[in-house]
Amino acid sequence: MTTPQTPAAASTAAPVALSISGEALANAIKALGVTHVITVPDTYIKSTIAALETPGMPKMVYACTEDEAMGINAGLYIAGAKPMMLVQNNGLYACLNTLKTIALDATVPTFILIGQYLRDVTKTVEDNKPRAVRLLEPTLQVWDVPVFRLEGPADLGNVRLAWELAQKNNGPTAAIVGAPTN
Amino acid sequence: MLKEEAIEILAQGRSGALSVATMQGAAPWHEAGQGKSMHIDASGCMGSAASLALGLALGRPQDKVIVIDGDGSLLMQLGSLVTVASTQAENYYHFVFANGLYESSGNQPIPGQGIFDFCALAKGAGYRCTFNFETAAEFKAGLPEVLASKGPVFINLKIARDDRKPRWAGISMSSQVKALRAELETR
Repeated sequence: MTTPQTPAAASTAAPVALSISGEALANAIKALGVTHVITVPDTYIKSTIAALETPGMPKMVYACTEDEAMGINAGLYIAGAKPMMLVQNNGLYACLNTLKTIALDATVPTFILIGQYLRDVTKTVEDNKPRAVRLLEPTLQVWDVPVFRLEGPADLGNVRLAWELAQKNNGPTAAIVGAPTN
Repeated sequence: MLKEEAIEILAQGRSGALSVATMQGAAPWHEAGQGKSMHIDASGCMGSAASLALGLALGRPQDKVIVIDGDGSLLMQLGSLVTVASTQAENYYHFVFANGLYESSGNQPIPGQGIFDFCALAKGAGYRCTFNFETAAEFKAGLPEVLASKGPVFINLKIARDDRKPRWAGISMSSQVKALRAELETR
């Protein structure tokens, strides 16, 4: 029997990563002109998802797996829409073959907002124990996916940088949300 | 029915629909002259044809979208049945070429061959209707009703074993992405 893992964000040490408002992150996504957000939800970004579910925001599409989300993203892009993905760090690991084939080989702009589930926000990513947290950026780098960190409200501009690079490169980019949005 | 028979019937009934083909359904679709326009292959990512087509269907509600899927492929992303059904995309037509085999890798049996029921799975997932055709004559006679039905529609086609060497369309997906996106921009 394994001990259930719980988010480590409740430590009393000073945070390295700060929470971004879910509403602010949703508004930053809307400002990109995104038409669809395809998601397999993440606990750390749940307030962002809630904000995206409000009227006037991009259409939410819920998929059973991240593989499917990447396929839907590609189909929507080909159809002329402006889609993006929102997933959890564990979900990124789950869809590496599709990342390779569709986002990279098929050259589809694929902007992925990724929640760092289980990140201890009092430590740097590199000092975090969970592999899901610590190995996310190295994994993305192995696959030549440009990474942008969202370590606090001051990094919100990285959302646009990551989005624009995906469109320019016709490939994937990742913006990693380092602390639970509030 | 033979794979080529099913492809020919579907090609004749396509009538301008967008198409997505995968694995051993793709090369025959191209050989039938159906790969030049309004088409993309899902190659190198078994199971992704259904979700790629769903994105097209959601982005192009004015067009019908037909998926030429394989049974082994669909099993790799079986949850896509639920994802597709959850959208209730009325323009979505999911044809599964069911031979019970992983044809590309040498005709090994798929799990559950002869035990599970794709139509029951699709119906249970929430597809609006399902069809099962065992012969070319049945499929030819039934296709007009299939395409007149409101999607998402699931069509199980019983396909005979093919012991020939696997064939591939050999067209890069990246070139197809560019070509299809450009084509759709003009429509």
